[in-house]
Amino acid sequence: MNVIETKDITYHYPDGTEALEKVNFKAEKGKIVALLGPNGAGKSTLFLQFNGILRPTTGSIAVDGDLISYEKKNLMKIREKVGIVFQNPDDQLFAPTVLEDVAFGPMNLGLAEEQVEERVNEALKRVGMDGFEKKPPHHLSGGQKKRVAIAGILAMRPQIMVLDEPTSGLDPRGASQILKILYQLNQEGMTIIISTHDVDLVPLYADNVYIISEGKIIKEGSPQEVFGDVKTVRGANLRLPRIAHLMEILEKKDKMPFEKPYPLTIGEARKKILKEFEE
Amino acid sequence: MENTLDGYAHSNGLKNANVSFKVLFAILTMVVCLLSTSPVVPLTITILISLILIFKARIPLKFYLKFLSIPFIFGFLTFVFMAIFFGTGETWFNIGLFNLAVYKDGFNLGLLVFARVLGGFSCLAFLALTTPMTELFSVLESLRIPKIVLEIAMLMYRFIFVFLGEAENMYRSQNTRLGYGSLKNTYHSLGMLMSNLFIRTWLTGEQVYISMESRCYNGSIRTLKPQKNITPRNILMLISFESIMIIGVYLTSNLKFI
Ligand SMILES: Nc1ncnc2c1ncn2[C@@H]1O[C@H](COP(=O)(O)OP(=O)(O)OP(=O)(O)O)[C@@H](O)[C@H]1O
Ligand SMILES: [Mg+2]
Repeated sequence: MNVIETKDITYHYPDGTEALEKVNFKAEKGKIVALLGPNGAGKSTLFLQFNGILRPTTGSIAVDGDLISYEKKNLMKIREKVGIVFQNPDDQLFAPTVLEDVAFGPMNLGLAEEQVEERVNEALKRVGMDGFEKKPPHHLSGGQKKRVAIAGILAMRPQIMVLDEPTSGLDPRGASQILKILYQLNQEGMTIIISTHDVDLVPLYADNVYIISEGKIIKEGSPQEVFGDVKTVRGANLRLPRIAHLMEILEKKDKMPFEKPYPLTIGEARKKILKEFEE
Repeated sequence: MENTLDGYAHSNGLKNANVSFKVLFAILTMVVCLLSTSPVVPLTITILISLILIFKARIPLKFYLKFLSIPFIFGFLTFVFMAIFFGTGETWFNIGLFNLAVYKDGFNLGLLVFARVLGGFSCLAFLALTTPMTELFSVLESLRIPKIVLEIAMLMYRFIFVFLGEAENMYRSQNTRLGYGSLKNTYHSLGMLMSNLFIRTWLTGEQVYISMESRCYNGSIRTLKPQKNITPRNILMLISFESIMIIGVYLTSNLKFI
């Protein structure tokens, strides 16, 4: 079942910028879906349609099978289901302390204070920010702010978590930690949608990949399918994962027998190389 | 960020003391300062609080003195003017300049005002240097300050630092590109910085509203406030300190220096 499905949505900003054109995007329940695209492709704009912050100029969106209706009551319900972590944490953290910021969402859900406290503690622990409860955001580093922003949504326990470039600005270990957390949440049944430029991490976790460029979806499918289409990937200002690129060079320049589909992760490449050597 | 008031408020030796205790202490002590009719008690309070701030809260002496220098200068000038111009009775001595003289009652009054300014200010300094703004909000809430006022204060507190950071970054990046090389450039760069900051303020406000809406914001900001109750030990300390000070006020009420 598709928990989020857009039908031919087009979105024009008030100044006339055509940010989205006939976008069809689907996220199946319990999957991790990655949205890849260069700067200005329309990723953030698309995400804001998912919880009704922006309303498509034409087309429609269904969450959990129901079309979004744009009246306040219904929007609140949608936003309980769909949590969005924003690209820039300074846009999200507004409260004077970490604790108060993370508690904001769950309080709005109308939970009792003890429950809120429990959720806040759990969320902060999960992103590795426990012990920072009393700090004001301006005493945190960029990466730490990002983690707190993620905790702020985690604490609401949405069914669907949408993250706009969750790994940008994080150190390599931090980035893979965040992805591990997302992977875990996904194992527990949460549907995850992320936008990213980090093509090396995508094949490790994503079940499904979309490439968006200039407001249009130009490719979709499994990581193997999408990265198999080298021309489209490069045409959208993206690149292959490093491993796949290496395999491509080995095949094309050094005439080694690594034909397509190229392995996308270190694990897959290892298997393929070992097999080659054994033969 | 290290050497600002906010930095010390979050990292001083008394940051874990009960907030209500600190607020009550500051307010009550200030009231005692104002009640006193002789300069002895306010000056004692100034010295005590300074000692607490320097040794207990471990605020660096240099920073503290700088912090105190402005009210000190202000208080001192007031004192001088009062001593010379406010007297009516007996003169104490002649300055020998422009026929000016120091009056006894003017001198006493000036000294009292000077002591009160210092005492009152050190109470404020105690609050400002040991209590993070963020914790004051929860005390203010329990004092039944209107919610809307608190919410605005909360948002302002957060965004002062966001925009301070942005202004700093912009200034540095302009400076890197020699934007402040000449006077003309300086005017131009500053102008751009200001207008840019204004637009950013606007846009960030919009973005924050969007992200709050995404978290089911419905017009009133509700968050968890850590409420720590004041302990009996704190209350006892408070009562005994203030009582001693009030007795001091009583005993010194008729004391005149000259
Ligand atoms: N508020 C706005 N008003 C007008 N145009 C906008 C606005 N926000 C974004 N755009 C335009 O819409 C297009 C898509 O922007 P969007 O922010 O969705 O890109 P993105 O894929 O998230 O890029 P990035 O990777 O840089 O975050 C861009 O051409 C951008 O200039
Ligand atoms: Mg974006």
